[in-house]
Amino acid sequence: MKKISLLLLFALFLSLVVVGVSSADTFDQVLQRWTKSLKHVDEDGGNLEVRATYYSAEFIEALVQKEAKDNLWTQQEADDYKYKFLSTLRLEEMIPIQVEFINNGPTMHMGPFDIMVKLRIGSKTYKPADYDRRLNFKFQGKKEGLIFFPRYDEKTGRDLLKDVKSVRLEFAPAISPLLEGREISFIWDVARDDPNKLYQGTTAARIETDRLLKRLEKLRKDKAEEEAKLAAINDEIATIQARLDELATQ
Amino acid sequence: MRADACCQGCAFKGAQPATRYEVASVVARALVDIDASKASKQDLELLKKLVMEFKDELDALGVKVDKIDKRVAVLEDGIGGWKIRGTFRFDAKFSSDTDNGVYYYNENNLKNDFEKERFRLFLTKQISENTYFYAQYRTGADGAGKYNDLNDGRGDLQHMRWSHLFVNTKLPYDIDLRVGRFTVDFEDDYGLYIDNDALFGDFRTDGFRLSKKWNNFKATAVVSRNDGWEFAGKTVGDNEGNMMNYTLDLNYSVERWFLGATGYWFQYDGRSDLSLNTNTYGIYGGFSFTPAVALKGIYYMQDFDEGYGKGTNDDPKAWKAILDIKQDLLKFTSLWIEYSQQDNTFVGYNDRYSIGGGAYDYVGRNMGVAAAGGTSKWWFVKAEQKWNDKWSSFIRFANVDYDTAGLDDATEWGLGVGYQYTPALYFELAYDQVDHGDSWNGLPGGLHNNGGTYGKDHVIRFRTNVNF
Repeated sequence: MKKISLLLLFALFLSLVVVGVSSADTFDQVLQRWTKSLKHVDEDGGNLEVRATYYSAEFIEALVQKEAKDNLWTQQEADDYKYKFLSTLRLEEMIPIQVEFINNGPTMHMGPFDIMVKLRIGSKTYKPADYDRRLNFKFQGKKEGLIFFPRYDEKTGRDLLKDVKSVRLEFAPAISPLLEGREISFIWDVARDDPNKLYQGTTAARIETDRLLKRLEKLRKDKAEEEAKLAAINDEIATIQARLDELATQ
Repeated sequence: MRADACCQGCAFKGAQPATRYEVASVVARALVDIDASKASKQDLELLKKLVMEFKDELDALGVKVDKIDKRVAVLEDGIGGWKIRGTFRFDAKFSSDTDNGVYYYNENNLKNDFEKERFRLFLTKQISENTYFYAQYRTGADGAGKYNDLNDGRGDLQHMRWSHLFVNTKLPYDIDLRVGRFTVDFEDDYGLYIDNDALFGDFRTDGFRLSKKWNNFKATAVVSRNDGWEFAGKTVGDNEGNMMNYTLDLNYSVERWFLGATGYWFQYDGRSDLSLNTNTYGIYGGFSFTPAVALKGIYYMQDFDEGYGKGTNDDPKAWKAILDIKQDLLKFTSLWIEYSQQDNTFVGYNDRYSIGGGAYDYVGRNMGVAAAGGTSKWWFVKAEQKWNDKWSSFIRFANVDYDTAGLDDATEWGLGVGYQYTPALYFELAYDQVDHGDSWNGLPGGLHNNGGTYGKDHVIRFRTNVNF
């Protein structure tokens, strides 16, 4: 009887795995791949579920395709959406991660939120460069927002994800007293992620145009500042020369 | 802050005095940028003073001072402010007993019980960016009816205590330090149990915890004492808390799998003529076939000083394997299937499957009378269904075969429906039963008089949880 039970259990397990693995790459599966979640059920009554979605190229592309399919968009409309979405995510300089908290436990106080979360890349940890300010406010129930971590080293400009296999998002135990000092963390294998894949076609051209316009604006500003400095120096030279001329005539 | 505000707010005029309105403009600009500039606590305090000083001018400039003050307060609140929060659970239990007149589900040993089952107060403070204080005051689980001289029918709460008191901080080289009274529970940390308790671990202790991460590798060391770990079958007195506890956990985790080892060295430091040391070693791991399907488990070896363990077995073993399927895969339910084996002389938690801890009945009550030479086999299956944000349900089953002649298997099953009325308030109606079998073990006076349990008990429970 026990052997039969074990065999049945094993068969059930195998069938579940086969079902899970063999299905097509639907949006749900891509979402599952890049969305990590942990539900902490406290023995004393409350529960806290934390979800985090790493905005990989695969995830963003799947999301855009899903929106296009659901809304019956044309290619142009899909490109427009992708362009706006990528601009919001600031992928060229940031690593965006969406977080969601479902807190059916004691009130959570996470402000200032940038000390409650960090991204571990290799042996170093990085604080958010920006985040949704709503995460600073106390709450029970649901709260979600985007967190942006730097993609490049602030000093050297090095790509932080270059040759990196995985990253780990770490929340401080202080986010909720329910955790009793436990840490919540999620690991993503990012070696296969290539954001450059997103920058193709018309979207890429528009984003590059935006980038170049920004750069042009900055260069013009620099030029104006340098010209102002030069003008000031010329003025000063003229003033000094005029005074020297005065002194020479005395 | 001054630099940022001045650069963006107004032209720099050198030594020329600024008017109050100009300074108010600078303050207003600083208030707009305060989030982005990642101000320190000192900056926030200064800004708050300035807001108060230039309140009239800011009003005149159309800046809503009250709202801004609230906004600053939110950030300031996080660092430096005390927080008091809590959770309270009230259980109404209606039990029945089919045979021996003993109500195992109720601490008052009466048919019904209304119980202040859990009350926890959390007192916390984020002292600085890297330093955090946590305290938990707890009580509960005493029945309303008379069951001993302490509460005498009034249901007064006993055993109030500070269960957790610790400070977390950061040392050089990215080392995390925890000092005080805290919980050690690696099985929970690595998702190796979901029900009442771990196979081994989950104890509170006083001491120091150091942890450090290198990429995907994490090392955690604990040096402590006064743990609440009580060894059943001990040979001398009550040794609870009479040991130094050294724990080391080494863990390697990547996205799809994890592997690690934990060692617990409990060293008795009481009478020099006694050898009561106990070492427990665990090796654990897990592999995710898909994001929703994982197989994981842990294997324990225990080593008692000669003659200290239960019976004659000084090196008992225990292990468990778990198939964990999330609701994402099956859509309508999650599924947790756990099988474990435990030498009956292994010292671990015997109430690890229970709908409410030791205040309820559970399979495994008879481990105390199980044969020392046997190896008990345990099954635990739990399926949880989250129907929407409000409604959920669960079904559960647990069974233990004590591998002891004359001692029947114990079986538990139950189901329940939960309603999350608000994020702060939860109601649950559940049914549970445990059948300990009807064996009398062939002992004079029967199993019950020998410290064992028999018969079948049921309970209908209405639970109220409040979080604030």
